[in-house]
Amino acid sequence: MFIIDDLLVKPFLSLVDIIHTMALDEMYDTDAIRDDIKENRLLYEVGERSEDEYQRRKQELEIQLELAQQIQEQMRGRVEIKQ
Amino acid sequence: MSENIYTYGIVEQEDLEVATEGVAGADRIYTVDYRTFSAVVSDIDTTEPERTDEDVEAHNTVLQRVLEYDGGRTVVPMSFGMAFKNKRTLKGVLRSARRALRSTFNDIKGTVELGVKILAPADDATPRENVYASVTDQLTGLSASETENDLFMDRLIVNKSYLVDRDQRDAFDAAIDGIESEYDDELIIKYTGPWPPYNFVDIHIGAEQQGGR
Repeated sequence: MFIIDDLLVKPFLSLVDIIHTMALDEMYDTDAIRDDIKENRLLYEVGERSEDEYQRRKQELEIQLELAQQIQEQMRGRVEIKQ
Repeated sequence: MSENIYTYGIVEQEDLEVATEGVAGADRIYTVDYRTFSAVVSDIDTTEPERTDEDVEAHNTVLQRVLEYDGGRTVVPMSFGMAFKNKRTLKGVLRSARRALRSTFNDIKGTVELGVKILAPADDATPRENVYASVTDQLTGLSASETENDLFMDRLIVNKSYLVDRDQRDAFDAAIDGIESEYDDELIIKYTGPWPPYNFVDIHIGAEQQGGR
């Protein structure tokens, strides 16, 4: 429904543009990455994740978050998707 | 030598020296006074400290020591990373925030924050609404206030912070003991604190007020 809404509101955007932007939004969802960072920490604190595993995953997630923030910054103002 | 000051939190005016390692390896934790408040601080050589696990832990450890040291006291915590150009800048911030600080001290006087997380085992899809209801029923009555924190993973059943009067601590601990003996064989219970009331304090200090950040 929101895709149709967007097409009506922004008739000059192609469906491909909108779907592409939605996919990027999901891939670079900073809130979801922050949740993963918290989950990694909690699993380490309750002993389900070793320190090595925790550190490795933490480093991965921090890189992902930095990238996501940069991408989101670039996307801001380009195409806005109504949720 | 750098005059930068890292700030952990604010207490009502008191001269304190705390023997623990601070952020960025600081070996002296002391207070800087502004009227009826004292900021708990250490020296640092930057106004933009990097957020590492070690330094976040040092920040929390200092606050816990201040909270409990010598009979305990009320602490308004700062979030990690609040470093100021010098003592003068810090005092300027305290001056501009003094009304909010006074009101916050009145709200949280004599309290600590306690955290409760309850986690289902991995790959367990059993509905747990009853656990949430039972736990929160037992703890709400023992607290002055509570916050519902993010359930940031599917396995989290409870993630709450409680503001508890110091004279209710034993009763709260006893209730947690009861919850642990009831659920410990099927769930993971993580009880943390005492913390300064991070989740019950809402003072915003703008970057422009910090000078040098």
